[in-house]
Amino acid sequence: MARRARILKYFGYALLFGTLALGIFAAYLDVRVRNEFEGRRFALPARIYARPLELHAGLRLSQAAVEDELRGLGYKSFSGGAEPGWFTASGGTLQIAMRPFVFWDGAQPARTIAVSFDSGGVAAVKDSAGQDIPLVRLEPRAIGGIYPSGNEDRVLVRLTEVPPHLVQELIAVEDHNFYFHFGFDPRALARAALSLLSGHVQGGSTITQQLVKNFFLTPERTIRRKFTELIMAVLLEAHYSKDEILETYLNEIYLGQDRDRAIHGVGLAAEFYFGKEVRNLTVAESALLVALVRGPAYYDPRRHPARALERRNLVLREARERGYLTLEQYALARSTGLGVSQRPGMGTSPYPAFLQLVHRQLRRDYDENDLRSEGLRIFTTLDPRVQAAAEAALAKRLAQFDREKRFDKQPGLEGAVVVTDPQSGEVQALVGGRDPRYRGYNRAIDAARPVGSLLKPAIYLTALSDPERYTLVTPIDDGPFTWKSRGAPDWQPQNYDRQFHGMVPLRTALAQSYNAATARLGTQIGLDNVLASVKKLGVERDLRPFASTLLGATEMTPLEVAQMYQTIASGGFRSPLRAIREVTTQAGQPLQRYGLKVEQAFPPEPIVLITAALQGVVREGTAQGLKSFLPPEIGAAGKTGTTDEQRDAWFAGFTGDHLAVVWVGYDDNRPAKLLGASSALPVWGDLMAALSPEPLALATPETVERVWIDPQTNLRADSQCAGAVELPFIKGSAPQQSAPCASATGAVVDAVGNGVQNAKSWLERLFGK
Amino acid sequence: MIRSTKRWLLPALLLTGCATAPGPAPAPVEPAPASPPAQAPAPQASAPQENVAIAGLMESARADAAAGRLPNAAASLERALRIEPRNPRLWQELARVRLQQGDYSQAEGLALRSNAWGGADNPLRAENWRLIAQARQARGDADGARKAQDLADQLSR
Repeated sequence: MARRARILKYFGYALLFGTLALGIFAAYLDVRVRNEFEGRRFALPARIYARPLELHAGLRLSQAAVEDELRGLGYKSFSGGAEPGWFTASGGTLQIAMRPFVFWDGAQPARTIAVSFDSGGVAAVKDSAGQDIPLVRLEPRAIGGIYPSGNEDRVLVRLTEVPPHLVQELIAVEDHNFYFHFGFDPRALARAALSLLSGHVQGGSTITQQLVKNFFLTPERTIRRKFTELIMAVLLEAHYSKDEILETYLNEIYLGQDRDRAIHGVGLAAEFYFGKEVRNLTVAESALLVALVRGPAYYDPRRHPARALERRNLVLREARERGYLTLEQYALARSTGLGVSQRPGMGTSPYPAFLQLVHRQLRRDYDENDLRSEGLRIFTTLDPRVQAAAEAALAKRLAQFDREKRFDKQPGLEGAVVVTDPQSGEVQALVGGRDPRYRGYNRAIDAARPVGSLLKPAIYLTALSDPERYTLVTPIDDGPFTWKSRGAPDWQPQNYDRQFHGMVPLRTALAQSYNAATARLGTQIGLDNVLASVKKLGVERDLRPFASTLLGATEMTPLEVAQMYQTIASGGFRSPLRAIREVTTQAGQPLQRYGLKVEQAFPPEPIVLITAALQGVVREGTAQGLKSFLPPEIGAAGKTGTTDEQRDAWFAGFTGDHLAVVWVGYDDNRPAKLLGASSALPVWGDLMAALSPEPLALATPETVERVWIDPQTNLRADSQCAGAVELPFIKGSAPQQSAPCASATGAVVDAVGNGVQNAKSWLERLFGK
Repeated sequence: MIRSTKRWLLPALLLTGCATAPGPAPAPVEPAPASPPAQAPAPQASAPQENVAIAGLMESARADAAAGRLPNAAASLERALRIEPRNPRLWQELARVRLQQGDYSQAEGLALRSNAWGGADNPLRAENWRLIAQARQARGDADGARKAQDLADQLSR
């Protein structure tokens, strides 16, 4: 008896201990499953959008370009769909069934519009009643997200947004007892146990169990794991309602792979496979998503359409047999094709370089964790049309240079492009290398390279700010020049053509990029003043106060160069380059606007003069090659740049509505025999030509006058003078004497003895004021 | 040229006036598809279509500014500036919104920008200098404010 009692006692202890251990294990699992569940529900990457295209009468954009935009948004080209997201073209008019979209400043409902075109672009925008619409925004293209380390993307959906037929199809196929079990299905489990005897653990998982399975990082098929999953499933059911579990499942389920991006959840899958929101999925489309649950790779509708179709039809049949579909619904759905959009996968983003810039700007204001989990919506300035043009221009030219083996036996020539809106400072496009999809080294924002002659405009701008001493026609000495400085070797800048050109007008020294003249000018006006100008132009980097800095022995990234030229292009107003316009919460609540900021860095007068000089570079200087890309009336302004041994080739310039900076060179800094005018310039030219830019228009203040100048004598010209050019002068600074070719009627003013300045050269004396 | 100036003047004056007497808020330009786009104050006659979009955005900005939704007003004006970056009225309106927001340095920068595109439009430039004077006054720069006011007075003469 005593022995039996002892056994019972031990058995009791064992039972108690076992229960306790199980309880502790269950408690541990409980904490874990709740953490996972809550974490999964709310970890939502920030979503990033391109700029929305704004349509209005008078917009200079071709029908083809608008169609491209629509295709980029996943709109289909056919008529009369019941749901928005399509367009049709007929007789110069596009009918567009626009999808609804929540912009940062409010929701825009779905609507159908008619956009008509003429040779100039958009002629009219009308609503379905034929009324003119002043302005309409297309939805912006989603261009990526900021993902947690696993590169998992999400489009979080609420259960109420999910069409009932999707839920019914899912339940019919995956777990038809879902609303009645406690996390597991004993009968299914029994079947699974039986199959275990045959050596395979398979099937029998409820939706709850499948969700739990997703919480583990590794797929493991052991009895222990199965048991753990079962307990966690029961715990989950105890804590959360069926709808909460279903909603999380729908957002969590793995449904495909897009390069490095995992497609989780029906929201993202609807976008990835059909280019639409989940609420708009048809019976057949949602059946395909349900079909994918069993094996997104095996049933991939893009790679294995036959398999996918078979599996989808099985889903439809199950749903029909469970009574979820009417016979008509079933017949219609079965007879439709897969309907998968042909949009190629874009990975985490088609524009990784631009996204890096966005991410960098966001990190100044937001916590990295919030960016990856709060589902923020980021509205950016990227213009897909400009981006496409920039990518195409760079790819075309680099391929051509490689083919011609113009520069080097070895391939690997690289490049970068930055395009901005000169008036607002918005970054429209960014290309970080020859493979624009490459998610790595971003030369546009990270490669600081010697800028060569790109710095020269800062020198001439500084000079032209002093109209008492310098105008566009002031003679500058391009003779041999030696800079002596204590503690540094003598510096003797050479010209590119190894020649010196004597006395040349200031504008010609810039147009031809003469180094000796520029160095002399820079030292005359003072290195400190030049460096101060560079700073005012928006370059934050500290430049070394050496004379060689004047000729560009200073390193900058293409983005910094763009900032510098931006200030000139916008009339002397500095606007920090921006990639972001607005940030909202996931629900569309505005968090932050990154507004347009302007600060006057230079008075308008010298800016008008330097811009005219930069137009001269294109008209008759080192960038004449642009003539074969752009008509002269565009009046583009720009500057070539080349560095020692031609390691770097640059072109920076602007038209009325685009500013672009192009860099071409080797990553390892090897001499490339590059010339700004022969390698970076064609990229720039191709890019601008593709954008059909607006002519450069200058705001000319009353204090500036335009005077015809005879290029032979740099004196006033008139209609008699061949080849005369019209140049801007700050009032009172223009030469007063007429050239011999002009009919000199009383215009000659005695220039000698005016005493305004100390004449330094014979030319200056000739027309000094 | 003169006609288009007048067209800009109207919404501009409305926007100025709304600080004291807010008028009836018009429907926003875009999110209401049902409403006819007739709110645009521009004469329909031979007005270039492009100006209708701008006028609509100016209207929105006016309504938003009157209702104290200054960020929205600024956003509408920036949208308009993307369409017509050389329209000095738009720069001026944005300067006014920034002044209302208490962003005085931006108000001054934007008013100067408006002046840059203002050409010989003396009333417009005078108004910009008045805005600058207010911005400087608010920043405590009494001297600078007086100079700006002097310029405004000269241009008003």
